Amino acid sequence: MQKSMSDFSEELIKSTTEDDQGERCELSGTGMHFPWLQKHIETVATGGKKEKDFAQTTSACLSFIQEALLKHQWQQAAEYMHSYLQVLEDSDSCKRQAAPEIIWKLGSEILYYHPKSNVEAFNAFADRMKNIGVMNYLKISLQHALYLLHHGMLEDANRNLSQAETWRYGEKSSSQEVLINLIQAYKGLLQYYAWSKKKMELSQLDKDDYAYNTASQNMLDHSWKTSVNLGALIQIPGVWDPFVKSYVEMLEFYGDQDGAREVLTNYAYDEKFPSNPNAHIYLYNFLKREKAPREKLISVLKILYQIVPSHKLMLEFHRLLRKSEKEEHHKLGLEVLFAVLDFAGCTKNITAWKYLAKYLRQTLMGSHLAWVQEEWSSRKNWWPGFHFSYFWAKSDWKEDKALACEKALVAGVLSGKGCRYFRYISKQDHQVFRKKIKRMKKLVKKYSIINPGL
Amino acid sequence: MSLTCPSCAAGETHSPCRSPCPRTPRMGCHTWPRAFSGSRRPPGPFPCCLLVPLSRFLWDHGDIAFAPLGKLMLENFKLEGGRSRSKKKTVVSVKRLLQDLDGHQPWGCPWAYLSYRQRRFSILGGPILGKSVANLLGDLLHEELVMRWEQLLLDDAFTGGALAWVPGKTPRVGQLVYPAGSTLDKLYFQEVSLTPGGNPQVLRDPGHIQLRGPVRQVVTRTVQGESLLAVRSDYHCALWKVSRQGRPAPLQVLQVEKGATGISLSPHLPGELAVCSRSGAICLWTPQDGLRRVYKDPDTLVFRDPSPWRWADFTAHPRVLTVGDRTGVKIVDTQGPPGCGLLLFRGGAEASCQKGERVLLTQYLGEGSPESLHSTLHLICTQFSLYLVDERLPLVPMLKWNHGLPSAPLLARLLPPPGPGCPRPLLLGGQDGQLQLLHITGEEASTPRLAGPPQSLPSRNDSLSAFPVLEPKSQWRLQERLKAPTIGLAAAIPPSTSTPILSLFQLSAAGDVFHQCLRLQADPGPDSCAPTVSWSPQATACCSQWLKALLEVPPAPPVWAAPTFSHRRLLGCVEQREVEGKVPEGLRAAMAEGRLLQQRDLGSLPTAEPPPAPEPGPDDELSKRLEAAWEGQAAAWWERRQGRSSGPRQQPKRHKRRTQLSSTFSSLSGRLELSDATSPPPSPDPEARPRPPGTPPSQELAQEHWARGVPLERQQTLRDYMAKLPLREDALEDASAPPSQTSSIRATRSRQRTLQDNTAKPPLQRDTPEGASAPPSQTSSIWATRSRQRTLQDNTAKPPLQRDTPEGAFVPSSQTSSIQATPSRQQTPVLSGSQRIRKKPRMGF
Repeated sequence: MQKSMSDFSEELIKSTTEDDQGERCELSGTGMHFPWLQKHIETVATGGKKEKDFAQTTSACLSFIQEALLKHQWQQAAEYMHSYLQVLEDSDSCKRQAAPEIIWKLGSEILYYHPKSNVEAFNAFADRMKNIGVMNYLKISLQHALYLLHHGMLEDANRNLSQAETWRYGEKSSSQEVLINLIQAYKGLLQYYAWSKKKMELSQLDKDDYAYNTASQNMLDHSWKTSVNLGALIQIPGVWDPFVKSYVEMLEFYGDQDGAREVLTNYAYDEKFPSNPNAHIYLYNFLKREKAPREKLISVLKILYQIVPSHKLMLEFHRLLRKSEKEEHHKLGLEVLFAVLDFAGCTKNITAWKYLAKYLRQTLMGSHLAWVQEEWSSRKNWWPGFHFSYFWAKSDWKEDKALACEKALVAGVLSGKGCRYFRYISKQDHQVFRKKIKRMKKLVKKYSIINPGL
Repeated sequence: MSLTCPSCAAGETHSPCRSPCPRTPRMGCHTWPRAFSGSRRPPGPFPCCLLVPLSRFLWDHGDIAFAPLGKLMLENFKLEGGRSRSKKKTVVSVKRLLQDLDGHQPWGCPWAYLSYRQRRFSILGGPILGKSVANLLGDLLHEELVMRWEQLLLDDAFTGGALAWVPGKTPRVGQLVYPAGSTLDKLYFQEVSLTPGGNPQVLRDPGHIQLRGPVRQVVTRTVQGESLLAVRSDYHCALWKVSRQGRPAPLQVLQVEKGATGISLSPHLPGELAVCSRSGAICLWTPQDGLRRVYKDPDTLVFRDPSPWRWADFTAHPRVLTVGDRTGVKIVDTQGPPGCGLLLFRGGAEASCQKGERVLLTQYLGEGSPESLHSTLHLICTQFSLYLVDERLPLVPMLKWNHGLPSAPLLARLLPPPGPGCPRPLLLGGQDGQLQLLHITGEEASTPRLAGPPQSLPSRNDSLSAFPVLEPKSQWRLQERLKAPTIGLAAAIPPSTSTPILSLFQLSAAGDVFHQCLRLQADPGPDSCAPTVSWSPQATACCSQWLKALLEVPPAPPVWAAPTFSHRRLLGCVEQREVEGKVPEGLRAAMAEGRLLQQRDLGSLPTAEPPPAPEPGPDDELSKRLEAAWEGQAAAWWERRQGRSSGPRQQPKRHKRRTQLSSTFSSLSGRLELSDATSPPPSPDPEARPRPPGTPPSQELAQEHWARGVPLERQQTLRDYMAKLPLREDALEDASAPPSQTSSIRATRSRQRTLQDNTAKPPLQRDTPEGASAPPSQTSSIWATRSRQRTLQDNTAKPPLQRDTPEGAFVPSSQTSSIQATPSRQQTPVLSGSQRIRKKPRMGF
């Protein structure tokens, strides 16, 4: 007991000494840390006195383990690890404090990959490591649970998390709090998993069945527990996609639409949270399920458009805008299409090109030449090279003729009949596309924004 | 700015900063204007270790140091003619002066006898010679030192790499483009053909272009079928178009006044470049439209950092760039209003960065084609970690991995997947030649993940042992040459009919290009033998040619170089080398006793092997001493001789310091052996081992601690854990392939150890995997001898070479079947000039 007490106090002192060390390793002036020089600099800082023998040996041993891991020599790494455990004896308290975390990190990696290791070995190791010192208990518990999850042992993982959840040491520090929240959230996720399995079973049962009632009662219990577990974490700023998703699904299932909306709105719009396109996508999908008015959907997607203009929902956004009555939405609809096609990942999206071809015609027919010109003015110096080059004309025609035709129409409308892409495609002679190409030429002649006469 | 000097801090004393010029008596009035004293910068704390070189410089290169001043003072010297009739006291006759000096100049003290003429000269020249030279030189030297010190800490000039692979007409042929020559100002174009077997063939002598500055970065991209080549020098950038025939045609040259730090080619638009300048400006450059500044900020992005390093790359949007400095990376829309943008990465809490962590490299991983899965991913490397950031979800990295490289990771290459559905290999290169291979997987929708554990690839240093043993001086030169920093990395995947191959090229700062071939391996299972690392006969011939050429060149005269700490030969540096033997017994013992790890503990020969010495007579003290001296350990030898008994005496003292908790662990090894004895495979009973009197007491004491100090439940978990850890059982039990090596090595060592250290060099041993395992009796005898040696603290005996485990040739076991496995062939210096060199199998010596 006495021993462990001294350990604890050492750990509490550690935080200050660690910082001092950090200062020392840094070089004055630059502030940058050079891990590759640290060893040499420390030699100098201590008046040329070399590190103590044991310290040198331990650092050598550590580098052997790391090297063996990188060479996938798990066997050898395990052997070195066996020796490295001695570092827990280091007389330098700083190093002794840091040791359990290093041992855990390397040891768990070894046991994860070692051909002869098994779950029991890992469990024994994790249980042992959790109790060396207090600082690592929660972290190791969480990682242990994730390991068990990875091996499909949900029950054990859940038990592990429950144990960790109730663990406390001293006053709750902020780092501890986040970890406990995470542990609870993972527990919630496990419960969600069980719940959704039950939901599946329930959907297969007859409603009048006696078993149905017990099963649905079971589900109710679960949801209450889960919401407690998941709710706490998603209040903290961060990216919690899987947790939010499952939480909302449960809330929705039990008819708590307001609660679900609040969670999603908060997740998407809270300033403290990092910008996360998924948050807006979840909100949009929720509102769509809720049959929210178009205006509302547009306002959600407008924000997504500002974050990720290349998202595939943007085509849906365009459809919504097209259907809208407002003129400004029609203009935005054109902008959205242009923006989607700006991105390298979307250049072969035939739907987008089709939409653009159609919408350009529609817009020009509606005598909104200014809109098109506005969009085109910032692109006319690079779209021809990016989309409408001779290279792409050739390769598009070879790979996807329908795409080539749509692109050629857009090219013709935007940069005139002289455009290389348009010229190449319009010269092609192909049975299936002959009609299409003819129509394309006609449209270009009629709508091209480049007027050769002017 | 303050510089620390290792030798001063180490307690060496030098005379304080003092002018090395004649100490002139301070008297009379000086007619000489003190031109430099007014504008002079206050001398910073001068590194004392440099005073000696400085004074030597003044002695040895007096012409350089004083000639300009001599010219200035010309009117005050009378070079010829007789006695001056002039009344002017400010003119000195040089002839007389020299005569005076010539006659009686005791070496080292030319001012022992001062004539009045000399005194006058001193008065005249004193103010200038005494201060100005030193001040001028000091300032320049100071500047130079600051630069060198920064370079020593981090040399970022070659960020991005100066080696590029330009694909040719067919997928099998391409060109390596790299700088060579003593100042790296010749850009070489070497046509290389990749064979399906993985042996690149150099097609003809390389063509070259002479440039007017050192090449720092070579970038190549093929956009819309057009191959472009961009080169960054210190103050110039240039762009070439490479025709399908492989001929480079210059397009444009750009001068960057403040110095260029980075250049990147657009993956979207042919011929578009982003150029970064030290001034903090980022420019978009196309040969047609010229230069356009898109961003300018002399300050760093997130917090203040003095480094002028800037970097820019492209993103999934052709008009949006990433702008990076040491503190973070920003996404900047070149069409938007200047100055605005979104932070993509910040050295801070979101990425849980460490203190002092800085961005060293950023790279856009998308290729611009819609097919690529990672069109929104960016790679960001710091000195500690590697981050993958998605530009759609800025600030929060998608993946973080601690690379643990011992040098700055300035090179990275994401390669196309070797096969459909395979993860994409990502190569990460450290400045000192370390290479790591990661596998990145993940569809567009899901987050990127690492497929399987990352792998380290053999570095150039590892091939040292494949060269024939040379005399120490040549060996050292070879070693230095192989150790030269890596300044370029390129890879090509030739289309192959059977297993995919990855051809890897490295450029070293010495101008050598090395080739390494990696083969994709299906999951071989945990117990299968790793493929052998070998050099083909051509490679061997090539390497020996290269070596011959290297050794023919007379060594460069020693130039004064910035002081480095490496000459201290820290033990750590020596230990970094691979240990191939599966005998970490020595290490374990060293850890258990908390003593210094010695080379012999590691069970492998030091790479720089001393040449064979004549057989010494029995117990020949002189030769022992000489041997120690040869190894540079004469002092240690003397100490050992003087205080043989002092070593063991210290053991219990240290032991007292151990805490109770630690005692649990000190006994782990003992405990393990006990559990071994009870486990089914009958291994030699550890208790039966003869324990020689000299065994350090820690073992026995630890046993007692084990019994007393450990709580019961801990004992159990500990024992369970140790029994589960697949350790010693494997080493001893089955006589199948790898474990048997262990035993045979052990056996060999025992044989040698019993030779009683007199052998200067043990017979080289080749342990083949089939080598018979040692009988138990032999094993135990080793234990006896080894522990005796430990008390003698002798390090003359050298363990045998262990050549059986090809290092790094381990293949990921159960993780993924599609991992680019390790080299079946090691690096080969391919081209040095027009030479092609390959490597020999390690088994050969």
